[in-house]
Amino acid sequence: MQSILVVDDEPDVRDSVKYVLDRAGYSVRTVESAMDAFAELARNPTDLLITDIIMPQINGVEAIESIRKTYPSVRIIAISGGGNFGVTEYHPTAITTTAYLASAEKAGAHLVLTKPFESDELIRSVEKVLGVGHA
Amino acid sequence: MARLRATFWIYVTACVVLVHLVLLPALFYGMGYVIRESHEDLFVDHARTFSRVLADEFEVGVALDSQTRTEDLLDFAITHGGARYAELYEQGRSTRSVYGSPDIKTPRTTDLSFGQGGDDIYFVVRPIVHALHHAELRLGFDEQPTQERIQIALTRMFWLLAVYLGVAIAIAIILSHRLSRPIQRLQAVSRAISSGDYTRALNVTTGIRELHALAVDLEAMRHELVGVNDRLEAKIKEKEISEVRREELQKQLRHRQRLETVGTLASGVAHEINNVLVPIMLFTDTALQDLPPSSAPRANLERVLAAARRAKDIVKKILTFSRELGEAKLALIDLREVVAEALHLFSVLAPPTIEIRTEIDQSIPLVRADTTLAVHLLINLCTNAYQAMEGAKGTLTIGLKYQEQADEGRMPRPRIEFSVRDTGRGMDAATVERIFEPFFTTRSVGQGAGLGLSVVHGIVESFGASITVDSKLGVGTTFRIFFPAVDRLEIIRDPVALVV
Repeated sequence: MQSILVVDDEPDVRDSVKYVLDRAGYSVRTVESAMDAFAELARNPTDLLITDIIMPQINGVEAIESIRKTYPSVRIIAISGGGNFGVTEYHPTAITTTAYLASAEKAGAHLVLTKPFESDELIRSVEKVLGVGHA
Repeated sequence: MARLRATFWIYVTACVVLVHLVLLPALFYGMGYVIRESHEDLFVDHARTFSRVLADEFEVGVALDSQTRTEDLLDFAITHGGARYAELYEQGRSTRSVYGSPDIKTPRTTDLSFGQGGDDIYFVVRPIVHALHHAELRLGFDEQPTQERIQIALTRMFWLLAVYLGVAIAIAIILSHRLSRPIQRLQAVSRAISSGDYTRALNVTTGIRELHALAVDLEAMRHELVGVNDRLEAKIKEKEISEVRREELQKQLRHRQRLETVGTLASGVAHEINNVLVPIMLFTDTALQDLPPSSAPRANLERVLAAARRAKDIVKKILTFSRELGEAKLALIDLREVVAEALHLFSVLAPPTIEIRTEIDQSIPLVRADTTLAVHLLINLCTNAYQAMEGAKGTLTIGLKYQEQADEGRMPRPRIEFSVRDTGRGMDAATVERIFEPFFTTRSVGQGAGLGLSVVHGIVESFGASITVDSKLGVGTTFRIFFPAVDRLEIIRDPVALVV
C-alpha cells in the first residue's frame, strides 16, 4: 500500500483529502505544518506528499524545495486556493494561484492542483503522479 | 455754471450769441459813428468849398454892383450848389433866393455845425471882402439827403450785422455739433468700459488734436483692459481646467484604490472559500458514491455539490478580478480578429431584436494583449449591452478607431479606441461610479453574481489598457477601452511579433 502524507494548515482540507484517499486504498497520514511534515518524512517512508502552498511559518514552496533535496524519491503534488495575502515576504510578484502553482512546479512539484477539487480529480492526479493503475 | 446741464452744442451756441449781443451793438454804434462822421465831413466840406467859391465870385466880379447878377449867382447856389437858401446881406439890404419853403426860423448870422438848429439846414456865413461893398453871403444847405444816406447806410449795416450774426450762430451750431460727436462717442465708450464692456472699439476720427489724443489714449487704455481681461479670463479658465483635471485624477485614484482594496479583500476571501470548498466537495462527493442511486438524500447532496461548483466558479471570477490575469500571456494581436471571433460567439447569444453593427477603421495597429482574454472581455461587454437592451429593439455597435491625436483621457497617444455602444436603458451616475466593483450589480438576485464588469476591468488592467464608461439614462451606454498603440521599434524588438 502506497503511503501519502498530506500537509495543510486547514483541518477540514486535511481530513477530507485523507478520507477520499483512504477510501481509494492509500495509506494516508496528515500533518498541519511543513515542520511536522519533515519530522513525519524522517519517521516513516512516504511515496507521495500532498502539500498546501500558503501556510504559516514555512510555506509550501520552501518545503517542496527542501524535500526534493532530502527525499528525491518522494513524489509531490502542490495544492493552492490562491489569494494574495501573506506571500509578499518570499514572492512579491506572485499574487495569484497560477503564480503560486507555477512557483511550486519550479520548486520541484510533480503536479499542481487548484483548490477546490472533486474526488475524481484528486484521485486521478494522485494516480498520475504515482503511476496509473497502481491503486 | 456747474449747475447748467445743457447740451454741449446749446452751450456753445449760447456763448456765441451772448458774445455777439454784447459786441454787435458796440460795433453798430462805432461804425454808425464813423459813417455819420464821414458823410457829415463830405457835406460840410462841400458847403464850405461852395460858399468860398461863390464868395470869390462876388469879390472879384461886378455882381455886387448888379442886382440881376447877384440874383443869378444866388440862384446858381440853389440850382447847382445844393443850397436851399441863399442870401446876400449888405447894410440892411438883403437879396435872397430860396428853394421850396424851408422852415427857417431865424436866418443865422454865424456858422452852425451839422444837425444843429433843428431845421435840417446847415448854415454857412461868409463875409465878402470888397473895396466898395461890405456884404455877407449867407447860404443854407439842405441836410436832408445826407441824413437819408446816413440812414440807408446804417440800415444796410444793421442787416449785414444781422446776417453775420445768423451765420455766426449757424457756424457755432455746426462746429459744436462736430465737436460734440467725438466727445459723445468717447463718453459712450468710457461708460461701456466702466460697466465692464471692453469690446466696443473707439472709432473716433476728429481733426481736433486734443480730442484725437484723448481718443488715442482711451483706445490704448481699452486695449490694455481687453488684454488684462483676456489674460485674467485665460488664467481663470486654465485654473478651472486644472481643477477639473485634478478632480478627475483624484477620482480615478480613489476609484483605483477602492478597486485595489476590494481586490485584495476579494482574493483573501477567495482563498478562504476555496479551502472551505475542499471538504464540502470531497465529503459530498464520497457520500454520493455511498448512496444508492434513488435515495432521497442523494438528490440533496447532488444539489450541495452543484452549489459548491457554482461557488467555485464565483471564486474563480473573484480571482480573475484580483489580478489573476496578471499572468495573461501578452502578445501583439490584431483587435479585428478579436472582434470577428467574439461576434461569431455572440451571434448565438444575441436575440434577433438586436442589430449588431461594426465601425472599424481600415488600418489598426497591433496591440499588446491576450486574444482569448480580449474575446472574453468583449463578450462580457456585449452580454451587458444585450441585457441593457433586453425586451426592446436596439443597436449594438462595436467600434475600433485609431487615434493619433487623442483629445482626452489618461491614455497617452497614439492609441486605439475599442468601443462597445448600446442603445439600452443606460445608467445613472451613482451606478456608473461603482460599475467596475465586484459584486456590484443592477440585476435582481439570482440573475448573476455581478462579477462581469469587474472581470472586464481586471482584464483591461492586465493589458495595460484603460476603460471608461459613458452612460445616459434612457439613451444608452458606451464602454471605451483605450489600448496604447505599439510603435514600430517595439514590434521589431518583440520576439512574439516576429513569430506572428
